[in-house]
Amino acid sequence: MSATSLASAAVQLVGGFLLAPLLPGLVQHWKARLQGRRGPTPLQPYRELRRLWDKSVVDPEGTGLVYRLAPSMAAASLAVAVLLVPVAARAPGLGVGRDVLALVGVLALARFVVAAACWDVANGFSLMGASRDLTIAVSVEATLVLAVAVAALLSGTTSLLGIVAGTAGTAVWSNPALALGAVAFALVVIAETGRQPVDNPDTHLELTMIHEGPLLEYAGRDLALLQWAAAARHWIVLVLATQVFLPHAHRVWLQLALLPLVLVVLCGALAAAETATAKMRMLLAPRLLAVGAVAALLGIASLLVQGT
Amino acid sequence: MTTTLLRVQAAGLAVLGVVGFLALAGGDTYGASFSNGLEPRFGIDGLTAFFLAMLGLVGAPTLAFASRYLEPGPRGRAIAVLIGLFVLMLADVLCARDPLTFLAGWELMTLIPAAMILVSRSDRDARRTVFVYVAVTHLAGAGTWVAVLLAAHAGAFGGGTVIARGSGLQIAIALTALVGMGTKAGVMPLHSWLPRAHPIAPAPVSALMSGVMIKVAVYGLIRVLVEWLGVLPLWIGVIVICLGALSAVGGVVYALFQHDLKRLLAFHSIENIGIIVLGIGACLLLRARGSDTWAAFALAAALLHTLNHAVFKSLLFLGAGSFERSAGSLEIDRLGGLLRRMPWTGGAFLVGALAIAGLPPLNGFASEWLTLQALIHVPAAGGIGDGLVGAVALAALAATAALAVLCFVKVVGLVLLGPPRTAAAAAATEAPVAMRSAVLLLAGACVVLGIAPGLLFGRLVGLAPWHAAVATNVGLHLPGTGGLPTAGFAVALLGLTAALVALRGHRVAAPAPTWTSGQLVEAQLRLTSAGFTKPLRLVLETVLRPQREIAVRTEHGVVQEVSYSGRIPQLLEERVFAPAVQFALAGARHARRLQTGRLGTYVAYLIALVLVLLTAAKTGLIG
Repeated sequence: MSATSLASAAVQLVGGFLLAPLLPGLVQHWKARLQGRRGPTPLQPYRELRRLWDKSVVDPEGTGLVYRLAPSMAAASLAVAVLLVPVAARAPGLGVGRDVLALVGVLALARFVVAAACWDVANGFSLMGASRDLTIAVSVEATLVLAVAVAALLSGTTSLLGIVAGTAGTAVWSNPALALGAVAFALVVIAETGRQPVDNPDTHLELTMIHEGPLLEYAGRDLALLQWAAAARHWIVLVLATQVFLPHAHRVWLQLALLPLVLVVLCGALAAAETATAKMRMLLAPRLLAVGAVAALLGIASLLVQGT
Repeated sequence: MTTTLLRVQAAGLAVLGVVGFLALAGGDTYGASFSNGLEPRFGIDGLTAFFLAMLGLVGAPTLAFASRYLEPGPRGRAIAVLIGLFVLMLADVLCARDPLTFLAGWELMTLIPAAMILVSRSDRDARRTVFVYVAVTHLAGAGTWVAVLLAAHAGAFGGGTVIARGSGLQIAIALTALVGMGTKAGVMPLHSWLPRAHPIAPAPVSALMSGVMIKVAVYGLIRVLVEWLGVLPLWIGVIVICLGALSAVGGVVYALFQHDLKRLLAFHSIENIGIIVLGIGACLLLRARGSDTWAAFALAAALLHTLNHAVFKSLLFLGAGSFERSAGSLEIDRLGGLLRRMPWTGGAFLVGALAIAGLPPLNGFASEWLTLQALIHVPAAGGIGDGLVGAVALAALAATAALAVLCFVKVVGLVLLGPPRTAAAAAATEAPVAMRSAVLLLAGACVVLGIAPGLLFGRLVGLAPWHAAVATNVGLHLPGTGGLPTAGFAVALLGLTAALVALRGHRVAAPAPTWTSGQLVEAQLRLTSAGFTKPLRLVLETVLRPQREIAVRTEHGVVQEVSYSGRIPQLLEERVFAPAVQFALAGARHARRLQTGRLGTYVAYLIALVLVLLTAAKTGLIG
């Protein structure tokens, strides 16, 4: 195993497991600045995780095993997703393969267990959130698969290592297919991270929540695990955006060195997007994502035309 | 008597399943080979062995379940005998090596379930449903006869003669087989018999119909389209893939809005048949483009999903049967809390639901991943039009998987979780040993097939009629993919979950009531099936055209009663088939005027016919 590949594995594990909460922290921090508030420090998510970790859990009456296992299982699925997504074009195998289409199944598992837990609580508000989350997930999954299909077809493999290598350089400027894939993926990033205009992470009104809704009943370490899972979701989609859909270096060392910089810039972009847009009506979100799906289809069409 | 009979049959099916697996592993052919003659011949090759193994794996637990499920008495005894005959006919279609045996088995495989439904229920609804079932499968099923007889006439039953690519004969056989066998498999738009007939049969019969019978139709499709006809023109592959995408998305969307558990499961059978047909379509397109290795992978993906669906769908139907017995209802809004009351059956049902939703580390995930891979290789194989069709099918399959998650979260939530919704559900007790061990066995099969699909996949790739091979592993490591180490996935997911559960520890405060904005938690506030799917219904409003009626009764300006009813119409049936049936009936009414019943009229018809024939012969039109 070469030094670069070891370094890449180290960045992937440390970044995905430990530094992921920094990403939503950064977004919140900059969003506050852009809105003229001082806001919390980027380290705020860590403080919340520590506070939650020290609190005890309150189980709602009548809940069972599914409710109790759900946070651990959702966090475990996201952890597997972190193991799946490499941060550079070279990395050792971590036991779960490197296939981009497997990612879809892991993310779906996390959604399933959280929604099942809502049914166990039988709280109408959590269920409304879960139902909206799963409804939007339909168009997110279709758009996600099409967006990564563009990159996979361009690179000739669905292995993420191959895709990172195959899209290296500034292909996104010169190749319309990848640019259209990037548009689609940008919408996936917004939906998966639960940002405006798809969802409003700051809302505390049960009737408007999407991603926060299913977490209503959870407390203590359960909530900490679920919040970490949400942060890990940020890490996964932003790393994919950086190393697949944005211009990135050919050399592995440079890919690793530039990753933090680009991630910080992307968090700034998310904060700016959140500040500039308002939450759209929930029923319009699938249409927005459908625009992404059509863009990715056009990307595939342009690849096919180039190929002949 | 009934019990013993069914147990003997179950043991026989278990032996059949083991023999099937051994024959598949051995890779030889046994018995006769295909012939176009009329004398009955039977034989087993790799594909037959695989489907026989599936029949045994699903059939043995199902019949063991039936031995406790069917009530002793004349009805139970009749069904027990008919089930044996049904299984025999399924095996007959699989082993038939001549056209007549094949077609005879095919017809009886359709008729015996109709008899079983009529034995178990004789009310008007059941009779009407059976009529629709038999009418649809026979009208459209005529395609099977045409296809098989045309193939036998050309000497191509069994693929002996090579039919020229793109010839009229090849296209005629392909299209008639697609209509005839597609109807029997439940492919949209000719699916309308399936969600009617499957739910009203007794649970073990539904399990066999959804689990195995429609898979035997898939067997026919694979034999004709992939094996006997050689390389088909591209556009047939495009049609097949479009039908697959329509069935997958359409099946799951209509399943979401069903309130009867077995009807919901029947619509999911259409969805899964759609996924299988997507694999077959990808295979045809890739083969037409000359990408033989991936065509074989696509075929193996379709076959693996066939087996997986057989296992989890029969598990779910049997589980539904147990719930109906214990909780007295199949309305998903009238169950609830059954996981606590029926932990074994409920746990197995939960595994089946996770598997059908395509979630790791279970078997549905492995075969859906393979089908996605096959579809992504359709655009990779070149060609603009078919490439785009492949890309759209890819998106359709991804959306289908997400919709299946939505649907089965709802089913699991309403049936297994939360507080019981009726007194009967609260009083439910665990099913008898024979019934729960059957579902547990099938749940075990879901886990094993999910952890080690590669062991079977290597063998299935070898079943393609052209040369293709892949190294046999536990996981799925295909060239040009990142690989799917299924065992690694299972270990990572379960290990991390266990570690996090241990980390979380047991610091639990006293339980508290659920927070619903300060209100009391009342049964009326609980979300229903219709409520959970409302966002999706609104998103798809323009496509689904849901109908709803709200009636408010007021007295002296005070609202006394509000009643709400909503339904999702089956657009294909109401807009296409119902007018067609009306048209046919109107035609029949006109034709009836010809039948006066008077002898003189009929003599006049005969004289007219003779005159017309004579004139035609005289002018040289005939003869």
